[in-house]
Amino acid sequence: MPDALKAEGITVRFGGVVAVDNVSLSLQPKGILGLIGPNGAGKTTLFNAVTGFVPMDSGKVRFFDRDVSSEPPYKRAQAGMGRTFQTERPFEELTVLENVLVSAFLKEPRRKDAEKLAMEMLKRVELDDRYDQPAGDLNLARRRRLELAKALAIQPRVLFLDEVMAGLNPPALREMIGLVRRLSQEGLAILMVEHIMEAIIELSDHVIVLASGQKIAEGTPQEVTSNTQVIEAYLGTE
Amino acid sequence: MIRHLIGLLVLLVAGLVYPWIFPSALTVGVTILLFAGWATAWDILGGWAGQVSLGHASFVGIGAYFVAIGATEYALAPWWSILMAIAVAALLSLAWGRLTFKLHGPYFTLSTIAIAEILRLIAINEDWLTGGATGVFIDWMPTPFGIDLFAREAQYYLALVFAVGVMATIIWISRSRFGYQLRAVREDENSAMAAGIDPTRTKLKAFMLSASLTAVGGGIYGMMLSFLEPHILFYLLLSVQIALTGIIGGRGTIWGPLVGAVLLVSAGEIFRTSFAEANLLIYGILILLVILFLPSGIIGEFNRRLTRRLYARRAQG
Ligand SMILES: Nc1ncnc2c1ncn2[C@@H]1O[C@H](COP(=O)(O)OP(=O)(O)OP(=O)(O)O)[C@@H](O)[C@H]1O
Ligand SMILES: [Mg+2]
Repeated sequence: MPDALKAEGITVRFGGVVAVDNVSLSLQPKGILGLIGPNGAGKTTLFNAVTGFVPMDSGKVRFFDRDVSSEPPYKRAQAGMGRTFQTERPFEELTVLENVLVSAFLKEPRRKDAEKLAMEMLKRVELDDRYDQPAGDLNLARRRRLELAKALAIQPRVLFLDEVMAGLNPPALREMIGLVRRLSQEGLAILMVEHIMEAIIELSDHVIVLASGQKIAEGTPQEVTSNTQVIEAYLGTE
Repeated sequence: MIRHLIGLLVLLVAGLVYPWIFPSALTVGVTILLFAGWATAWDILGGWAGQVSLGHASFVGIGAYFVAIGATEYALAPWWSILMAIAVAALLSLAWGRLTFKLHGPYFTLSTIAIAEILRLIAINEDWLTGGATGVFIDWMPTPFGIDLFAREAQYYLALVFAVGVMATIIWISRSRFGYQLRAVREDENSAMAAGIDPTRTKLKAFMLSASLTAVGGGIYGMMLSFLEPHILFYLLLSVQIALTGIIGGRGTIWGPLVGAVLLVSAGEIFRTSFAEANLLIYGILILLVILFLPSGIIGEFNRRLTRRLYARRAQG
């Protein structure tokens, strides 16, 4: 079985800034890879490069047995990369159900089937009771869950989560952690960018630490959190 | 869905009895129906896909000129020339979209003005093709089943079929996968791509469909005018009127363009007869009022409120 995801030597520059500097990563099928690092470390940029939303200056991305390095983001989504956005982007004018319907139509071209799939995804994130509310009216915690439902509705093979836990209150956080774990148990591979260490330690089986665009450490959550370089990187910025 | 189909049926019945009630206002009727159809077609691109065009007179002109030149030069029946106009409009919009959909913000809109203007200049200067600035006069039309296509009544029913056909198309689209791809691209291209949607391809499809349908109405308009001048047919004012009809009624709604057409055409008629010169001024004020107080358009604003009210009622009860 090939890796679900294998990125090699990813470099992304914005003008003079090297946001991601020669970073490689791989994700096993069914694995959960945590990506951590201080603010501005380049996590979202790396995530966007892998999913195709930001052009790479160099590097290669393999998705299962396919080289997607030069494919546009919608082709990567069609291939099975489901992602959320750090700043959530619901289609504000559409209802909650319609938001998810857009994604559900990718694999279910018929309205009836797509609607059924979308409703199932809303149940998963416990938003089904708000299916007919305009998405622009949702609060932050619900927008996060809607983002997740949208990503799930394309029926992805790998799920990319960018800080879906940020800003949640403790019960909502516990729920989200439980949900991500269940998704993983059902066989989804997950790449997760997160600041909340509790979630990273509980969920990920492998962690990569970025600082100033570079990979400074990787290993199990325990290995990484006891690494002095990592502790310095965090303390240095706070 | 059912509600919309019933609405369409009501429109069809109202359209069928209109000539009996207002036999002397057939021209107004044709104008309302044509604008309803054009604005609905315009809205596929301008409202549903979010790409505002101020060049749709191009496609009206293509439809009208194909019918006129087809009939006068080649004794071609209008249904054949309209088919050709559809093909040309689709190809033109494909080429035009490929060039301009990479532009963001107002640049697409500006490009549409430019292209309509180029077509107008071609129509004025290429006498051998279009009759030039003096125009073309349609002197012959076939008479299918003995129907006189020069008669206003026949043109009225053609316009009715056109308007109802375009509206049926948008009702179908609004429920379909394509309709949701359009909405997604309009709202946020990045989120659309995350859902596996190719924004450029989606916009191109919308543009081609919008242009082709507009050209069909243009063909009927050509028969109605029977004398075509490039200043009228490729004129920016016509493009602006089509766009405003959609915007005032409500972009991205099913009934907005029809409401806009009824309102703008009848307001234009009333004020033209009673206020003559003040006509354009009043037209302008009306537009300003809607844009200030109902920024999503009449039906657009209505739908927004309805969605919220329905949700609130269900959530409480
Ligand atoms: N579109 C852009 N144009 C220019 N610079 C950018 C752009 N996006 C990100 N950057 C810069 O690249 C660096 C990495 O940003 P990125 O958003 O990837 O960090 P991050 O690790 O996700 O941070 P956070 O934890 O705050 O989300 C930052 O210095 C940022 O200012
Ligand atoms: Mg980030």
